[in-house]
Amino acid sequence: MSSFVVDKKGIKRYAVTIGVNGSEYTKVIKANTLLVNFLREDLDLTGTKRGCELGDCGCCTVMMDGKPVNSCLVLAMDCDGHEITTAEGIQDGEDLDIVQEKFVEHAAFQCGFCTSGMIVSSRALLNENPNPTDHDVREAIAGNLCRCTGYVNIVAAVLDAAKEL
Amino acid sequence: MKPFKHYDVNTLDEAVSALQNFAGKAKIIAGGTDIVGMFKDEVFAERPEALINIKTIPNLDYIKEEDGMLKIGPLALLEDIAHDELIKGKYTALAEAARRTASPHIREMGTISGNICQQCRCWYFRSPNNRFNCIRKGGEDCYAEEGENRYHSIFGNVKDCLAVNPSDTAPALIALGAKVKTSKRVLEIADFYEKEEPKKTTVLDDDEIVVEIQVPQPAANSKSKFEKFAIRKSIDFPIVNCASQVEMDGDTVKSARVCLNAVFANPYVAQKAAEYVVGKTLDEETVTAAADLALQDAKPLTKNAYKITIAKSLIKKTLLACK
Ligand SMILES: Cc1cc2nc3c(=O)[nH]c(=O)nc-3n(C[C@@H](O)[C@@H](O)[C@H](O)COP(=O)(O)OP(=O)(O)OC[C@H]3O[C@@H](n4cnc5c(N)ncnc54)[C@H](O)[C@@H]3O)c2cc1C
Ligand code: SF4
Ligand code: FES
Ligand code: FES
Repeated sequence: MSSFVVDKKGIKRYAVTIGVNGSEYTKVIKANTLLVNFLREDLDLTGTKRGCELGDCGCCTVMMDGKPVNSCLVLAMDCDGHEITTAEGIQDGEDLDIVQEKFVEHAAFQCGFCTSGMIVSSRALLNENPNPTDHDVREAIAGNLCRCTGYVNIVAAVLDAAKEL
Repeated sequence: MKPFKHYDVNTLDEAVSALQNFAGKAKIIAGGTDIVGMFKDEVFAERPEALINIKTIPNLDYIKEEDGMLKIGPLALLEDIAHDELIKGKYTALAEAARRTASPHIREMGTISGNICQQCRCWYFRSPNNRFNCIRKGGEDCYAEEGENRYHSIFGNVKDCLAVNPSDTAPALIALGAKVKTSKRVLEIADFYEKEEPKKTTVLDDDEIVVEIQVPQPAANSKSKFEKFAIRKSIDFPIVNCASQVEMDGDTVKSARVCLNAVFANPYVAQKAAEYVVGKTLDEETVTAAADLALQDAKPLTKNAYKITIAKSLIKKTLLACK
């Protein structure tokens, strides 16, 4: 069990160590800290977006131990000892990841709000299945809503990225 | 979100004693996809003080056949159940139900025990900051009765509450004749849901935990099927869903189980449909008559009679698929 401190108001704060994009962060947090807020506010990783905050839209998608999850429904506490990958972590140093590159090439975004979630979901798919079908891609992004593009270019971008893996 | 306490436990016994220490004021968190939303929106009339995290207990996500049955650990993920070859082949309705649940993201977090224990999604009940302190929360009124009830019960109320159980896997497990093993007892899953008191979803005591799901091996000549009607194919909760399991004897039905969900406070066993098909061949005429019989008892509300048509169609589809 993680260690904790109790503040003057009697609120417990817990020490957690969470791996994010390859680095380990040890922080003292309250139990009610959501992973999305931990990433955005404690680590300034604002690539992860906050949309519906209900698990519906997927713009908060990150990988937890390689699997896509909605960071708005995950308690940061429950990530103690786990590895999180955000859209920032998919990028390869200064260079864009192939999925990101293909999104640009195919104009797979308009307003861009869904994009980081889409890219994380797509990357999670390609890591498991480097030869996806059109249907596989659509299923992988079934939890990511896009209000702008109509999805066609997103699917094309992911399929194109798969070809160059 | 208001503050709360959080405990990681290492064993089921620790989880039970943590629940006992809080005497009804703590809840289990498994995948968290349901309970985190409830905490965040301050849905509870009296919010639990603590969450007991059972994800830190090792080896509770197993899926295995043993002692003539399928055993599923409480932390088995819906995504793993959906893609498990054994479940897809022999316990088909369960794999199909898991696969149709929510989105891939939620299936990667959501567990089987959380799925069968999840709370209703009535929009008055779920309205943030306990805006409608309805009967299910210990209040006086049901706001759905005269309000927006298009997604509510078509088989009447439980103490005036008209909410429906939203689980996709529960009807599949009922059709497959599953049992729920808890820290205290083993229950038929059909008896796992609270029948009298809308303030509770399941019959679990405050300090009782689901520790395993047990599904008997289906007979050799049997098949099962799950179907779901939702507004969108992914993410959405069922408007109605249905699972059937049928054991055949040559051309005729030897035995059958049919269960609907999202039509009543608890998963609704369509006993009349199941009884009607026994001894008959599964053709269009038989399944239509069975579906009509099952929905004979429906009492739709002002805005949800359409669910009757959907329920009938799903009963027919699932039964025909078991031929
Ligand atoms: C956007 C969205 C869409 C969804 N769509 C669907 C859908 O289409 N179909 C569907 O069926 N569900 C749907 N869900 C509900 C989803 O939360 C469940 O499917 C999921 O399986 C819950 O599992 P969990 O492990 O996350 O549960 P948790 O949130 O961890 O727990 C849920 C409840 O079960 C209790 N609990 C959990 N484990 C145990 C245990 N071992 N013993 C005793 N009590 C326990 C908890 O205390 C809590 O009350 C959806 C949810 C969201 C957010
Ligand atoms: S249907 Fe049940 S949960 Fe919904 S408002 Fe009525 S009493 Fe509350
Ligand atoms: S913000 Fe998490 S799913 Fe919409
Ligand atoms: S680009 Fe605007 S939501 Fe997808």
